[in-house]
Amino acid sequence: MKNSTLQNTLDKTEQWTRIPSAEETTFVVDEITTVIKEAVESTIGNSSYQHSQINQWMSSIVESSLSQLTKLGKPFKYIVTCIILQKNGAGLHTASSCFWDNSTDGSCTIRWENKTIYCIVSVFGLAI
Amino acid sequence: MTDLAKEKAARLLKKRGSLSSLGSHEVRAKEAFARTKDSISTVSYMEEPGHHDDIPRPAVQMENTYQLSPAQRFPVLTVKDILKDVLTSYLQEEKYEPELCRQMTKTISEVVKARVKDLMIPRYKIIVIISIGQIRDQNMRMGSRCLWDETHDNFSSHTFKNSSLFATATVYGVYFE
Repeated sequence: MKNSTLQNTLDKTEQWTRIPSAEETTFVVDEITTVIKEAVESTIGNSSYQHSQINQWMSSIVESSLSQLTKLGKPFKYIVTCIILQKNGAGLHTASSCFWDNSTDGSCTIRWENKTIYCIVSVFGLAI
Repeated sequence: MTDLAKEKAARLLKKRGSLSSLGSHEVRAKEAFARTKDSISTVSYMEEPGHHDDIPRPAVQMENTYQLSPAQRFPVLTVKDILKDVLTSYLQEEKYEPELCRQMTKTISEVVKARVKDLMIPRYKIIVIISIGQIRDQNMRMGSRCLWDETHDNFSSHTFKNSSLFATATVYGVYFE
C-alpha cells in the first residue's frame, strides 16, 4: 500500500519537473495567426466603420486575442497591439525593432480588411 | 529562423509592403560575473531572408543566478525622453511621402532600439514599435494589451504630429526571468 502511494508521488513529481519540448517553448506563428484571425473576424467581421463602436471593437479584439493566447498554455509573455484604421486613402507605415532571444521569441502580424476598415494586429511573444 | 518561417515572413511582407522587423540576438554567458567572452550579436532583417546565422554558434550553458527581481527597473521617463528626442529630430521638417516614411520608420526604430540598449538595463528584453501615417481627415485608433508581470514589466510611448504626418513610438520592456 505504502509503496504505491510513494510511487504515485514520484510520478507526480516527475511531471512537475518535466522539461518542456522545443515545440512548447518556441513561438509558433501559425497557431497564433489562426487564433487572432478568429478573434478579429468574430468582432468586426461584417461591420462598417462606425466611430462610436471603435473603442468597444478595439477592447474586444485585444481582450479576446489575449484570452485565446493564454488558453494555449505556453510559457510566454504576450504583447498584443491593434490598429484600426478607416479607409480613406491615407498611408500608414509601421516598423518594429526587437531586442530578444531569437531562438525562443517571435512576433507575428495579421492584416485584415473589409470595405471600410483596416485592422492590423501584432502579437509579440517573449519566452519566460 | 527556419526557412519556412522566413518564407512566410517574406510573403507577409510582400503583401503589406512596409513592415519590417529587426531581431537582434545577444548571448551572454555567466551573467553573474559579467564576463562577456562569448557574446555574439546578429541582426536579422525579416524582409531579406538568407542573411542569417552565418556564424555557427556554440550552445551556451547558462548558470542560475537565483535572482527573483530585476536589479534595475525599466526607466519609463528616460525612455519617453529618448522617444521625444528622436521623433522630433527626425520628423520635424518632413512631409509625408511613401518611400521616405517607409525608410524613416525602419531607421527610427533602429535608432530608438540602439539608444535604449545603451541604457544597459540588464535582463530586459526590448520591443520598439514605430508607426508613421499621413494625416488626411481619417480616424484611427491604436490599442495594446499585454500579458506580463505588472511589477517588473513596463512600457513607454510618445506621439508626434506635424502638418502632414503623425508618428507614434512605443517601447515595451519585459523582464527576462
